[in-house]
Amino acid sequence: MSLAQVSNHHFLIRRVHSLLGLVPIGFFLTFHLFLNLTALGGPKQYDLVINTMQSFPGIFIAELIVIFIPIAAHAIYGTWVVYTGQTNVLRYKYARNWFYLIQRISGLYTLVFVITHVYLLRFGEANFATLSEFMSQPLGLSFYVLGVLLAIFHFTNGLWAFAITWGLTVGPHSQRVWLYTLGVIFVLMSVIGMADIFAFLK
Amino acid sequence: MAEQKKIQIKIRRQDGPNKPFRWEEFEIPYREKLNVISCLMEIQKNPITASGVKTTPVVWECNCLEEVCGACTMNINGQGKQACSALIDQLEQPIVLEPLTKFPIVRDLMIDRQIMFDHLKTVHAWIPIDGTYNLGSGPRMAEVKRQWAYELSKCMTCGCCMEACPQVNPRSKFIGPSAISQVRLFNAHPTGEMNKHERLSALLDEGGIADCGNSQNCVRACPKEIPLTTSLADLNREANKFAINRWLRK
Repeated sequence: MSLAQVSNHHFLIRRVHSLLGLVPIGFFLTFHLFLNLTALGGPKQYDLVINTMQSFPGIFIAELIVIFIPIAAHAIYGTWVVYTGQTNVLRYKYARNWFYLIQRISGLYTLVFVITHVYLLRFGEANFATLSEFMSQPLGLSFYVLGVLLAIFHFTNGLWAFAITWGLTVGPHSQRVWLYTLGVIFVLMSVIGMADIFAFLK
Repeated sequence: MAEQKKIQIKIRRQDGPNKPFRWEEFEIPYREKLNVISCLMEIQKNPITASGVKTTPVVWECNCLEEVCGACTMNINGQGKQACSALIDQLEQPIVLEPLTKFPIVRDLMIDRQIMFDHLKTVHAWIPIDGTYNLGSGPRMAEVKRQWAYELSKCMTCGCCMEACPQVNPRSKFIGPSAISQVRLFNAHPTGEMNKHERLSALLDEGGIADCGNSQNCVRACPKEIPLTTSLADLNREANKFAINRWLRK
């Protein structure tokens, strides 16, 4: 391989895929979880917040560029990444090997969840009542609880690999410290996510 | 007289590439301190299965018998390891022997590891010092650097990390942790460093460093305890710097 030969865009695509997981998707997820806490104030307050958000000028363009395109790109390429892996957790039963598998399962589940979530709310009636009704069914509720938890897992566990991909945590010790830190972040975000869901159960 | 203790071994047999496989069970009189190789040698002397059927001797590879060449690597009770350092007294019976699954089978437990050597060529895992005149002595290597680089040089291309890696499979072109770790070894060498751009450039391609899935099985599976995941993370950093730098100067 000579220097003159320009490598294909494989490396770039993989790095963009990694970056998109945090910027903007991870930031959007965090913002989204926090914003939905307003539902704890009741249907009136929540619907007001949603209406305010949707009345921003150019919200459609912003959603397209900051949310839809990055998530679609991350999901499409991520599905390819899942296809190129071959789990062996039954032979090599290490925790990290399980995390490798759960990262892929949670990614696929989150994709199904997000599509349903968007179909239900963004193209349907986006208000407190729609969500409240969906989650009043046990199946709808478990679909949401699992979706929120797995999305947060995919984000926090993804951040663990992100730190390796970008060469930040090189040795096993720093990787372990980052793992525990992310464990705490996972719990905190999950509490917020569950509070969001709880708000719609009243 | 008390019945003599036996060693039970179950082997996945295959007469050649693209031939069907079968399982054969063997029983060997117990002796202390045997390893898997000495059991295979017993079977070779008297190739009769546990049920008394005459069969062909089992084919396997071995060389050094001291866990430095990697030739006898096979799946022992589901884990890739060297048959020479796999001690019977430490294994659960029946001992299940299978060939490595990530390489083409030649026969029985013998596989073709050529692909690992091809990967070493892909990443330029050597130091080019050939020339038309005497190049003289090279730059000195710092002792602290030599010490950790020595650990990386213990790689014997046995394939345990490839076997354990979920990213090494027919659907992926990933070259695996061992070849990538060798890039770190040769880039650490003061003379090898002069060609590090060639090795890093190779790592950016499909099947290179970006295809690592961070399952970290490799570092657990490595019989030489090479810090493979540290090598991978370190080269992630180097590859990022290299790729950005190359693009900015284009």
